[in-house]
Amino acid sequence: MTAALSRRGARIAIGLVVPALFLSWWQWQATAGDARSLAFAPLHSIGSAFVELVESGSLFSDMVSTLSRSLTGLAIGGTLGIAIGVAMAVWRPLDRMLGPLLHAIRQVPLIGWLPLIGLWFGTGQGSELIVVSISAFFPTLLNSYAGVTNVEPRYLDVGRIYGFTPLQRFRLILLPAAMPLILTGLTQGLAFAWIASIATEILLGVGGGLGVTMQVAQTQQRLDVILVAIIATAILGFVINQLFLRLRRHLLRWQAAPL
Amino acid sequence: MIAEARPRPVPESTAAAKGALSISDLDKSFTIGGVSRPVLEAIDLHVEPGEFVSIVGASGCGKSTLLRLIVGLDDEYSGEIRLDGERVATTSLDRGIVFQDHRLFPWMTLEQNIELALLNTDTPQARRAQIVADHIALVNLKGFEQAYPHQLSGGMAQRAAIARALVTEPKLLLLDEPLGALDALTRVHVQNELQRIWMTQRSTMIMVTHDVEEALYLGDRVVVMAPSPGRIRRIVDVDLPHPRDRGAPLLHKLKDEILAELTASPVEPGNLVRLPGREER
Repeated sequence: MTAALSRRGARIAIGLVVPALFLSWWQWQATAGDARSLAFAPLHSIGSAFVELVESGSLFSDMVSTLSRSLTGLAIGGTLGIAIGVAMAVWRPLDRMLGPLLHAIRQVPLIGWLPLIGLWFGTGQGSELIVVSISAFFPTLLNSYAGVTNVEPRYLDVGRIYGFTPLQRFRLILLPAAMPLILTGLTQGLAFAWIASIATEILLGVGGGLGVTMQVAQTQQRLDVILVAIIATAILGFVINQLFLRLRRHLLRWQAAPL
Repeated sequence: MIAEARPRPVPESTAAAKGALSISDLDKSFTIGGVSRPVLEAIDLHVEPGEFVSIVGASGCGKSTLLRLIVGLDDEYSGEIRLDGERVATTSLDRGIVFQDHRLFPWMTLEQNIELALLNTDTPQARRAQIVADHIALVNLKGFEQAYPHQLSGGMAQRAAIARALVTEPKLLLLDEPLGALDALTRVHVQNELQRIWMTQRSTMIMVTHDVEEALYLGDRVVVMAPSPGRIRRIVDVDLPHPRDRGAPLLHKLKDEILAELTASPVEPGNLVRLPGREER
């Protein structure tokens, strides 16, 4: 079994076994002919809904809106998270000032922000983006802070021996040493931004996106459309996560390969 | 002090700029759990320019602490440490150090790791690449310039660390058990290399080690230290020209002497293993 996994074809085939079983079970439920067919759309109608959404162009535009909302939120929240996290780690007084407040605030689940932000900024696209940014902010902040505070003192010794200026110390030691955790923060931030995008789209239903389509389809009882949107969300989420991991591997190529 | 009043002559060649180290009446203690514990006591040591001095002693005798003080990473001590008459207060590019762990930055290539040592020197930008290449060749690492530290073996990484320490041409190079983590064969190889480098560069070197043979093979003098608190027990002259033959009878005779001294130390109360629970009976 383990030996068979060394072949690429075999690996892919094994990964497909469970999904195939699941799909056949699904199809069996959908075509059983009783009340179950209300809860399970048959595969062919999901297929035709897919074709319908692709032809009208709405699937593509939904994917673009959700993706751009997530990435914009990640860019805003992630940049702030790295900047504030690193600043707090480098400059202790800032840590003392902001730390308690931020740790209290981050206990609020991201959806908990919606009522307040809705009151302040309305229920438009701007509010969606704010919630997405907040959810990307905290994982990036926490990891960047941990990354910089956990830099090994023995590397800082080397900087002292060679007379590094504070800027050199930051650029050549603190930042690269913290980079693995900063990137971990960004990867988590991406996952949170993705969740927040779909969630706010479903709850606010404005500006287009996979979540908006799901919400509209729910009111129209279009089970097939909901499923297409879910599948698109899963695949798109998987793909950007993979791209991100690849970027991470490239940026951290100096690290020894995990055994 | 008179010497400092006059403008110091600018050395014409690096050969004139060799470091003379003088340590006098040095005491150092650490505060552990509110109690002050002496780690170094009454250290007096004078090292001639261009001399190779080895320091041996049991672990915990303050050898590494002594090097941290000399290099300037720690400045809380009483007494005096002077390099060429100037009091040591903080780190300086005049003093280099090689640690037991190589401490290369894992995020930089070997070449970048060595070049960073030149960052704050007045070496002209145009000459830096050449100097780095020369030092990579000096420690026999040609062809590995673009390798990251995790791609190097332990011996190679330690040689790279030696190159990084040498590239600034420090007057004084401190070696803190630099070969301690290497296997026996690699260690002999790097020892030979270290001797060759020292003979070409002729800068002052002080090496801490727990290997008496290594201390004798490389050192012009061997300082034998006693623990708790760390102090100098004896200084042994090794009157043999370099490069040395490992089989020289003098080295073996001295090794036996030093080992006897280190192991058959009179048992001091501080060193006794005491189990008060048993003494009650």
